[in-house]
Amino acid sequence: MTPGDQPQPDAMFTLDGVTRTYGETVALAPMSIRIAHGERVAVLGPSGSGKTTFLHLLGGVIRPDAGVVKIDGKDLDSLEPGRELASLVGFVHQQFDLVPHLPVMHNVMAGKLGQWGLLRSMLSLVSARERNQGLEALARVGIEDKAQERTSNLSGGEQQRVAIARILVQSPRAVLADEPVASLDPARAADLIQLLVEIAAETGRTLVASLHATEFVRTYFDRAIGLRAGRNEFDIPADEVDDELLADLYDLSKADDHGPRSNRGASQGSPGGARTADGPPAGSVPPQPRFRTVD
Amino acid sequence: MGVVVKAAWQTVTFAVAGLTVALLIGVPLGLLASGVLVRSPAARRTSMITARFVLGFLRSIHELVWAWFLVAAIGLSPMAAILALGLNYAGILGRIYAELLTDVPLEPLRALRASGASEGNVLFFGRLPMAFPDIVSYTFYRLECGVRSAAIMSFVGIAGLGFQLQLSLADLHYDEVWTLLFALIAIVVVTDTWSSAVRRRLTA
Repeated sequence: MTPGDQPQPDAMFTLDGVTRTYGETVALAPMSIRIAHGERVAVLGPSGSGKTTFLHLLGGVIRPDAGVVKIDGKDLDSLEPGRELASLVGFVHQQFDLVPHLPVMHNVMAGKLGQWGLLRSMLSLVSARERNQGLEALARVGIEDKAQERTSNLSGGEQQRVAIARILVQSPRAVLADEPVASLDPARAADLIQLLVEIAAETGRTLVASLHATEFVRTYFDRAIGLRAGRNEFDIPADEVDDELLADLYDLSKADDHGPRSNRGASQGSPGGARTADGPPAGSVPPQPRFRTVD
Repeated sequence: MGVVVKAAWQTVTFAVAGLTVALLIGVPLGLLASGVLVRSPAARRTSMITARFVLGFLRSIHELVWAWFLVAAIGLSPMAAILALGLNYAGILGRIYAELLTDVPLEPLRALRASGASEGNVLFFGRLPMAFPDIVSYTFYRLECGVRSAAIMSFVGIAGLGFQLQLSLADLHYDEVWTLLFALIAIVVVTDTWSSAVRRRLTA
């Protein structure tokens, strides 16, 4: 475990004029942002506002259409996609995305796959390698007694803990969490956010989490970024977040012309309106998924 | 009765031997046909098209036709029957395996790749565990089919239930015919029970 607590001249993440579109839909308008090492950033915004795209761009899962993404001072294009990227960023997903058939332990040790070759990982399936690290990680998230259980037998909250334990084993310098608690009940959600934040704080890791449950923002985060329709609405210290600001952010009637919604609406409504989007006729634009991965 | 048990055992042996050959050929071809081990689209397409063509070729020739060819090539021997079964079944198994390995939920695989896993690691930590129960039960089903096919193969000269069936039918001993058919049914039932027991343990 090598935390990034030594001072670094480079920011953990730098986006410089980054844009991303899916077909006609602007998922992220030009955005420039810097996230320092060790910062805890909450990303807020209504569904479809580009939170996932933003996180996937930060983590190098997708590439920008234009602009520069730097992770830990290194240009995204210069990073080796497999192990080097995995040593820098780890992901926690809304649906946990574990392999349900495997025992918990294997799902945790999967965090090592970036470092293990094929033979090593096959052996590990027969008898878990470096078990101690896995057990330690499970103990840290409070479910060491579940190590041998089939992952699908665990509750949602426990499965998300397994995903966090995997991140501990993977030991990246930054953790990106995409609505990590959206499918959990409020009590479980609070516990989990606290756990994520504690783990990030203990090891000096950067944490960027997209959230809907805004009550956590002031308590646990340093900084809040508000997105709507792919644009940066605010970027403020977390303690300045108030209800009025959030009500405003989530008020979709205010979505502007560059956003996904009004963009699609435009191609259906105004006949040849003077829109920037001079795309194919209405109906030929399928509703775009909110994110896509790049193999 | 002793004759029936011996014949049934022989039939099972041939089915298992044939399935073993099928696995040896079908598993690697199925892996290639699924294209899951390569990331570059061009290499994936080449691997998939080539392997699928070979699998299709193996599969499109019925095991009895394979048996005719092989008897002509290597003579009337159990080996011909086993190979015939193995070649046809390899085509079937490979194709199904390729599909089972591709049709797994993609999100866990994406998460594994995000942890830095290579496609080989993704196969062993993601695809195989998720597809394994289906792979096992389909293989058992093929074993069951193999028992039936092995019984029919008697006419290319392998011993077993089919051969005894032929003799009994020729002698118009219908009581023996029934006994042999019941033995065949018993084998299928046993395979089926075994298969679901294994599957239950895998998915429990």
